[in-house]
Amino acid sequence: MRDDSEFVAFAQGSRDRLRRTAYLLCGDWDRAADHVQDALIRVYVAWPRLTRAGREYAYARRALVSVVLDHARRRSSSELVVEPDVHRPDGVDVAELVSARETLLQVMAELPPRQRACVVLRYFDDLSVADTAKALGCSEGTVKSQTARALDRLRSVFEDSSLGELTLGAGTW
Amino acid sequence: MVNDMRALLHDAAAAPPADDIDLATVLAGGRQRLRRRRARLAGGLAVVVVGTVALGTVVGRDADGRDTPAASAVPRPEGPVVRLADARQAKEGVDYDVVASQTNDNLDAANGRYFDGVTEDGKILFRDGPHGPENSMRYALLDPATGHKDWLPRFPEHQQVFPLELGRDRLVLLTAGNDRGTGLRAWVYDRAARTWASIAWAGLPDEADLSKTEIGPGGRLYVGVPATVGSPPPGGWPTGPDGEADDAGATGETYDLWSVSLTDSTDAREEGLRVGDIAFTDDAMVWSAATNGKNDRIHVRDLATGAEHDFDPHSGARCNLLGFGALDDRIVLSQYCGTYDNGRDDRVQVLTTDGDLVTTLQGNGLDGWVTGGVVRVTAHDPARPGTYVYEPDTGRFARVSDGNSSWGLGGPVPDGYLLWDTPVGTASDPQEPIPGATQWLARWR
Repeated sequence: MRDDSEFVAFAQGSRDRLRRTAYLLCGDWDRAADHVQDALIRVYVAWPRLTRAGREYAYARRALVSVVLDHARRRSSSELVVEPDVHRPDGVDVAELVSARETLLQVMAELPPRQRACVVLRYFDDLSVADTAKALGCSEGTVKSQTARALDRLRSVFEDSSLGELTLGAGTW
Repeated sequence: MVNDMRALLHDAAAAPPADDIDLATVLAGGRQRLRRRRARLAGGLAVVVVGTVALGTVVGRDADGRDTPAASAVPRPEGPVVRLADARQAKEGVDYDVVASQTNDNLDAANGRYFDGVTEDGKILFRDGPHGPENSMRYALLDPATGHKDWLPRFPEHQQVFPLELGRDRLVLLTAGNDRGTGLRAWVYDRAARTWASIAWAGLPDEADLSKTEIGPGGRLYVGVPATVGSPPPGGWPTGPDGEADDAGATGETYDLWSVSLTDSTDAREEGLRVGDIAFTDDAMVWSAATNGKNDRIHVRDLATGAEHDFDPHSGARCNLLGFGALDDRIVLSQYCGTYDNGRDDRVQVLTTDGDLVTTLQGNGLDGWVTGGVVRVTAHDPARPGTYVYEPDTGRFARVSDGNSSWGLGGPVPDGYLLWDTPVGTASDPQEPIPGATQWLARWR
C-alpha cells in the first residue's frame, strides 16, 4: 500500500509557503487556504513520479498557480481583453490609500490573473523568467511581456501618487 | 520615497491568519481521485498509473453473507459471482491473434510512440510524442497488415489529447478548452479531405468535464458539467484495515448533461438531465444517478421512442461507482466496495438493461470497462495481476497477460479488437513506475 508519510511531511513543510504565494495570487487568505488544499490534492495524485526528482515544490507551485487561475477564470468568463491605460489609475483612489503595501495589493487585484501571477512568481518567489514560464505553462516571451505590462501599471500608479517610486531593488524593470 | 517591490510583497504576506488547511481532507481527496482515475478508460498521453495497489491477501472464497459495512471479510455480492481464479488462460491462435505491438523502453525518461486506438476500418492511430519544448506531436494511421504509416498533416494542438471516435470518415480527438484544463475543444480530422478542424462552443459552460464525454449514436457529443459533489464525513473517512482512509459508500457526484454538435460551434444545448455517468448502446442511452460514490439507480431511455425506465442495480451498500459502460443490452459498472481484513472488495457488475443481474466479477484490486465489444478487466492483485477479458454474451472469461505496465496507454477500438499493455524493465523502487511498456493489439476471436 502506498506510504503517505513522505507526502504528509512535504505538505506540512510547504503549506505555509504555498499559502503566502496563494494569498498574493488571489488576495484572500481563506481562498488561499482552499487553493492550497486543492493544489496539494493534485500533488498527492502525482506524488509517486515527483519524489525522485526533487521537483516536488516546483510541481506544487505550478499546481497552485493552475488552481488559482482556474478559479479566476470560473469567476469571470474572460480575462481583461483591453490592456489598462498605464497612465490612468482607474479605480484606484490613491488619496485614500494609507500605505504602499495596500496600494500594491489593490492595484495587483486589478491586474489580469496571469499578469498578477508573473509579478508574484518573479518578485515574491524570486523565480527566473524560465522558471516562471514553466510554472505558468507559457513561453518566456509571454512572461516577459506580461510582467512588463504589470510593472508598467504598478509603476504608473505609484508615480501618480504621493507614495514615491516603486523599484525592484537591485533588479531592473 | 522609494518602495521596494520585493519587500512590499513579503511584508504583505508576512502575517497570515491561523492555518486551517486540512491535510486529512487533502489525503482523502487525493485517494478518491486515484481510485477514480484507475477506473477511467486509458487514453491520451502516457501517464503513470499511480493508483496501482499492492495487496497482500487474496479475496477468500469463504466470504459469506451480503454486504455488511462492519464485516471483516469481503462480502459476497448478490447474484452470480466470478473471480479471477475462474479465468482460464487465453491462448494466442485460439482466443486471439496479435496483429501489432509497440514497445517503449523507458517512458519515465521521455515520451515515445504509442498506439492511441484503432479506426473502424482497422488502422492504428499512431502517435509520436509529445516531444520538445512545445510538446509537439504528430499522428499517423498505421496499417498493421503492411506496417505503412500514413502521416497526417501537422497536428497543431499541444495539450493532452484524448481520442474519442476513430471512424472511417473522421477522427475525433478531445482536449481541454483552455490551458487551465477545463472546458472542451474537439479536433476533427476529415480523412477524405486530410484536414484538421478545431471546434469549441461558446454556449458550453467553461466547467464542462473532458472526462465526462460520450458520442451518441447520432454523432452528437454529450458532456457533463459538474453539478454536485460529495464530501468527506465530519472527522474524515474512517481508517480501513490497511491503514488507509476508506471512502467506500461515499456520496456520489452528479453532472448536468449537455450536448454539442461536432460541426456547428453554435449548437450547444443543455439536455435538462442530471446524471452520474452516461453510456450509449445502439438504441438506448443509459445513465447512473451518481458517480464516484454510491449509486442506487440506473436509468434507460429508448432513443427511438423516448420511453424511459429505471431500476436499482443492487450494487453493494458500500460500493462507489467508478466506471460505467454499455454493450448491446448489457450495462457494466466498475466499483470499489471497501477494504476488509482479507483485502479490497472491487467489483465489475454486469446487468441487463432491464435490471437483471448477469454476473459480478469480484476481486482484490480490479477494474473493468467496455472496449472492443468485451469487458476488459485489469487486475492489480499481486497473486493474479494482468489483463482479463470477459464476454457478457457468452460468459467467456480469460486471462490475457500476467502483468500490467505502469502507464495509462491505449484508446478506443472497434468491436473485435483488444488493446492492452505489459511492463518492460524493472522499477528502481517499489514506489517508482516500471519504466517501459509494450502495447499489444490483437483480434479477439
